[in-house]
Amino acid sequence: MSDLVQILDGNTFVVSDANGDIEASLTDPTGLFSFDTRFLSKWILTLNGERLNPLSVDDLQYFETRFFLVPGTGTVYVDAKLSVIRRRAVGDGFHEELTILNHDEKPVDITVRLEAASDFADLFEVKDALQKKGKYSTKVGKGSLRLGYDRETYSRQTSISASAPATYDEKGVTLVAHIEPHGVWTTDLDVVTAVGAGGTYTKPKYRRDGRRARPNMERSLDKWLEDAPRLESDWEPLKTTYRRSLVDLAALRFAPPVMGGKSLPAAGLPWFMTMFGRDSIFTSLQSLPFTPELAATTLLALGDWQGSRLDDFRDEDPGRILHEMRYGEMTAFEERPHSPYYGAADATMLYVVLLDEYERWTGDRKLVRDLEHQARAALTWINEYADLMGNGYVSYQRRNEETGLENQCWKDSWDSISYSNGEIPGFPRATCELQGYAYDAKVRGARLARLVWKDPAYADQLEQEAADLKRRFNRDFWVEDGGYFALALDNEGKQVDALSSNNGHLLWSGIVEKKKAKAVVANLMGPRLFSGWGIRTLAEGEGRYNPIGYHVGTVWPFDSSFVAWGLQRYGFKNEAAQIAAGILDAAECFQGRLPEAFGGYARSLTKYPVQYPTACSPQAWSTGAPLLLIRTMLGLEPLGEHLVIDPVLPAGIGRLELLDIPGRWGRIDAFGRGRGPVAEGGSRRQLGFVEAIMPKAKRKKPRVTA
Amino acid sequence: MLRKATGTLRFDLVDGTKESSWSVAVKKGDVSVSQTKGKADCVVTTDRPLFDAIVRGERNAFAAILRGEIRMEGDPELLVLFQRVFAGPAESIARREAVLAGKSS
Repeated sequence: MSDLVQILDGNTFVVSDANGDIEASLTDPTGLFSFDTRFLSKWILTLNGERLNPLSVDDLQYFETRFFLVPGTGTVYVDAKLSVIRRRAVGDGFHEELTILNHDEKPVDITVRLEAASDFADLFEVKDALQKKGKYSTKVGKGSLRLGYDRETYSRQTSISASAPATYDEKGVTLVAHIEPHGVWTTDLDVVTAVGAGGTYTKPKYRRDGRRARPNMERSLDKWLEDAPRLESDWEPLKTTYRRSLVDLAALRFAPPVMGGKSLPAAGLPWFMTMFGRDSIFTSLQSLPFTPELAATTLLALGDWQGSRLDDFRDEDPGRILHEMRYGEMTAFEERPHSPYYGAADATMLYVVLLDEYERWTGDRKLVRDLEHQARAALTWINEYADLMGNGYVSYQRRNEETGLENQCWKDSWDSISYSNGEIPGFPRATCELQGYAYDAKVRGARLARLVWKDPAYADQLEQEAADLKRRFNRDFWVEDGGYFALALDNEGKQVDALSSNNGHLLWSGIVEKKKAKAVVANLMGPRLFSGWGIRTLAEGEGRYNPIGYHVGTVWPFDSSFVAWGLQRYGFKNEAAQIAAGILDAAECFQGRLPEAFGGYARSLTKYPVQYPTACSPQAWSTGAPLLLIRTMLGLEPLGEHLVIDPVLPAGIGRLELLDIPGRWGRIDAFGRGRGPVAEGGSRRQLGFVEAIMPKAKRKKPRVTA
Repeated sequence: MLRKATGTLRFDLVDGTKESSWSVAVKKGDVSVSQTKGKADCVVTTDRPLFDAIVRGERNAFAAILRGEIRMEGDPELLVLFQRVFAGPAESIARREAVLAGKSS
């Protein structure tokens, strides 16, 4: 996948080879995709029947790229008389400016050909290679070629047209270029997608004349970067990582059709450019101090789509927050349940957590009032629909046994939940972090009920339920001889006793009794869980431990960032800084873009984090991990109308400044200073930590943010 | 319904050769329904039998939109908010009732 070129705008994206060509096959998932449908599966440029060769690719923006090509298939270009530039921008479809330069002293006549075709595959079909049930059509016009696909009332079309005189046929478009010596020939190609019978095409988005391509987003990338807090540090790689995170977060913005242009973080690029309850919420939490409007849109959009009825196919319950939304053919014909699908056990509780955290940062009580109904329904879901075993704990078991998800927690692979001896429990499963999230949702829901909804009786009730849950949880999930919390309770209420990173999420949720925290931290930071880079999903020595197993031994930067937040919450600031050091060091190895996961090998063994191969990069919550770690290192915590700043920096970072942090205080700056000697050149390739000296905060005049 | 929902949603329902229009006015969550064809923020056009099936919980509204069986013009958010009132499949409800009965016995 790494040699493929991707550009995107919202959920429209183009994946091509380094020539800019698209030649989709089962093993080659290239194409123009929009709303989970492939609108173009073939797009091959030839000059006089010859394919081209790439010289270089310029990634101009995440939505725009430029390919430099020469004719010929040889390896040495001693005699390239022509060069070709394809500049492509993605919008509602894509716009391509094709330019041919003649370097010869003689004029040339060239037949320029673009082969085009579309299989209109659903993204699910691209992954699973399924047969189509509808009919294809091709319409050759004077000024365009239209490709179509119809199944009953379902209809999707692609229109292809060129600005220069061209001949269209069923398999593409042909142009004739006459180019004078040292001359230039150019044409614009528009590929536009359409949905619905009759095919109302939106006009091609881009024009060459003075109108630069820009994404379908309310804010340009420049403005996006300008509005985010500025980061200064004597450790240069952190600045690179921070900028990379902001740019990737911009690319991951997805504007759901119901949100009037406002955007939320999608899960991953390009295959997961859609709304995911869990991923969108976790990423919004991570990015709250930096880009709080993402959280607002996430809350609104997920609130709009909150479950309202019982529907086994979609694993929907009243009050439940969705897991994943899709727009393709298989969803349309209910061959997949993503319209939307609700099979997540954690998203509903995390929804309330995000709503409260959002208010604490922004002071936006209007949104909390507007979403009161949704938040109450979410809290009701915990007691009414999530306690499948009747034992007072949140558990999950899918009702859609064909296409629903088995594991409805973030560790969603089949073998992620296991006993110490490696055996896999039955269903329902009550994983431990779900209880932590439920506790946190109740505590935070109580705060909102008292403060904003003016319902103290409800607040009291939620607080009592939370206290009761905490008491029972610390009794029933505690593995006495291990000093940690079991991964889950099984369907008989017995402990699924493996040691896992979930313990860190428990610290973050606040459900851990103070007296137990020290033992939990000792396990998290011990050699079985801490690899030196981050926290392993499953501890070394467990039956299913595998350093390159998806959820059974790899390190997930997102996971570690929440563990760090948890450590900080319980006052283990040095330990939090140590995790920040490991993950940020790893980020440097990946040029600032953290992968979804990397191998759980001990740092002393590999010296370099071993990337876990996944198709999606950047991944939203990996992109958010450095942001959350910056927050934990600086010890940022809203308190009333103020922002508490309580920094502890890892060794090697002598200075960390985050300027213009937006929030209910207007804008504020946070400074952290390391104590003790800072290595020359800012190198901090060592673990350990130095405590920060006095925090400093300087209040600024409130500034209205865009 | 929902506090922030405000606007008018109109359903143009086609039944054979007949067409009937229903306007649903939502003001901060309060709903009033009338059989009129006035101005609306969101106009939803579909067949009467399909619409009835959706209301009863036999069919899913969003999947029908993706299939092109429901056409929609204007602000889609109103429809998303309004579809909360539609029922779920009868089998799903019966199954839960059976589970709850089993628990209490």
